[in-house]
Amino acid sequence: MTQTQTEPQLPSGEESATSTSDGLVARVRLILARRTEGRAVALLMVVWVFTLIFEPLVWTSYEVTLGRISLVGLVALGLTAVILMGELDLAVASTLAVSGVIMASFDSLAVGVLAALATGLIVGAVNAFFVVVVGINSFIATLGMLFFLRGAAFVISNEAPVRIADVDAGIAFGQPIIGPLTPRMLIFIAAFVALYIFLSHVRVGREFYAVGGNRQAARDAGIPVTRRVFTGFMISGFIASLAGVINTLERTAADPTAGSTVLLASFAAAIIGGVLLNGGRGSVFGTLIGASALGMLQVALTLSGVQVDVQNIVIGSVLLLAVITDPSSLRAAAVTARALVRSRSERQPTG
Amino acid sequence: MTPETSSPIKAKPPVAQIEQELEQKAFKLSEWMAQQGIFLFTAVLVLFALVFIDGFASLPNLTDVFNRAAPIGIVAAGMTFVVISGNYLDLSVVAQVATAAVVLIAVTNAVGLVPAILFAILIALVYGIVNGIAVGVFKANAVIVTLSTTFIGLGILRWLTGGSIYFGDSDGPIRTFGTTRIGPLPLAMILFIVVTLLLSLVLTRTNFGFMVRAYGSNREATRLAGVNTPLVVIGAFTMSALGAMLGGFVLAAFSNTAVSAMSTGYDFRALAAIIVGGTSVFGGRGSVMRTLLGVVFVSVLTNIMVLSGLGFGFQQMAIGLLIVLAVSVDALARKTRVS
Repeated sequence: MTQTQTEPQLPSGEESATSTSDGLVARVRLILARRTEGRAVALLMVVWVFTLIFEPLVWTSYEVTLGRISLVGLVALGLTAVILMGELDLAVASTLAVSGVIMASFDSLAVGVLAALATGLIVGAVNAFFVVVVGINSFIATLGMLFFLRGAAFVISNEAPVRIADVDAGIAFGQPIIGPLTPRMLIFIAAFVALYIFLSHVRVGREFYAVGGNRQAARDAGIPVTRRVFTGFMISGFIASLAGVINTLERTAADPTAGSTVLLASFAAAIIGGVLLNGGRGSVFGTLIGASALGMLQVALTLSGVQVDVQNIVIGSVLLLAVITDPSSLRAAAVTARALVRSRSERQPTG
Repeated sequence: MTPETSSPIKAKPPVAQIEQELEQKAFKLSEWMAQQGIFLFTAVLVLFALVFIDGFASLPNLTDVFNRAAPIGIVAAGMTFVVISGNYLDLSVVAQVATAAVVLIAVTNAVGLVPAILFAILIALVYGIVNGIAVGVFKANAVIVTLSTTFIGLGILRWLTGGSIYFGDSDGPIRTFGTTRIGPLPLAMILFIVVTLLLSLVLTRTNFGFMVRAYGSNREATRLAGVNTPLVVIGAFTMSALGAMLGGFVLAAFSNTAVSAMSTGYDFRALAAIIVGGTSVFGGRGSVMRTLLGVVFVSVLTNIMVLSGLGFGFQQMAIGLLIVLAVSVDALARKTRVS
């Protein structure tokens, strides 16, 4: 708790330096200190360099790469809204799967899509209910929902992929409409812009940061915290079901096991993008950069013929690295290391 | 609960006291459910199964229930340490159980039983230390950490094995362990009971167990008391890893085969057993013996669903729901304790 309070003092300390002669350097450092996207940018750079040298196909067949980034990024965008409030939505992967299955089990495509999106909203509301009304930790509540919904996807689909009613519409959906952009990419771009505007220019969205930074302070300031948490989880659920709809349309069938790799990749994208797990800090730009890095990495690995298992190892390692290089994690590790050194030096004179 | 808490209540003016008593009475149900509910629920469930489910009461079925419960029970007993230390759960048991099973059979076939066991122990220690350092030293979120180690571990296992099935020697030591019975009890069942008792003793009677419980109830106080808290977390995750390893051994011994996909569902079954047993997911409260009861409950529930023809999907739904409900009861009970 005290850590989050000391953090903003870092930029303000830099601010006093701007008045001195080397103002430009200090200003750049100030901007850098305020940003949280550093690790995502670093990863993106590494991926860029490696793909340019070893797998330039990632760049020439950019339609594939953009499609992958859109898939990872879309779910990660929804997660960003939840993580900003210091909560977590593990249910996104199952929401994706179950909404796809629900969509495919309707005869009419339009009704199916609406039902799927409604499912996402309901799942989000149920998650939020358990988190803010009952008071369960969001990790456990959404984990329970993850299992429940995965089971539901199996039950509804009879444990086998379901074909959508209108296969032609699905095939048409996969075709580019504006330049090289397919509807999936356009939806991703639209969701990104909408969420960016919502989180930085709309009052309700800006309050997400306050809820994540210090919930009690937000409540005292008159922010309806419960309603904001509901909004956040419903955004996440809605976007996850949107991803499920897109996935199902493009594949013309709904797979009840869909989404487990997406869960890992989208978490990695949001966390490495600098969205702080404790809440209150982060931006959709960081998530975009993180998703781009991971999407390109996945495409590069696939194009070089690397097995899915090895891809999971790579993405899992990126996620593990992302959580332990989180600023607060590094600080905790530094405290432990310092305590270790101190106890050593105290022991030496006596022993 | 203790004389310390009851004495200040007596000193309060009567009105406040009555109010408090009323409040306590109103919330007592959730507290009771969280603490003692499992006894009632297990009894009701078993009674229900005995009366309404055909084929439940037969001896082969009951043996099957307990045989299936043994590996999950050992995994859950180990994972109880992680939950009590306040780190939610260890999702990576899925990867650990499968790895231990494959290592036991594949390495025994190639080299021998003793190297196989030593190698499995080494892997368990690596899991415990990696999870423990990430959670204990870096204070990273245990769910995310163990989610990533699950994918890393299962990825490595599937990559190396190619998803192929390993068969044990038809009269080797693993087969013997899987089929030997002492009286009516299979050897694995006895191992399950011994491990549960042993882990229960570790949690209640040793310094380490005390520190795990202390860390779960108040991290900052435990750290200020001079406890090496990162080491406690590493220890808790290592107990979970060793439990998962033994669970994997038992699982491999029963069928004398091992495959990377054999441990599907162990993460949430074990977690459900721990939480339903009454161990608090908020840390600090709970015991290994409660987990044993929870395992019985979850196993009987799964058996009822199997006998009623409900497949894996329904089982996942039921257990997901069970986790959320049990944690809800725990959360409501916790609210009364705090107020």
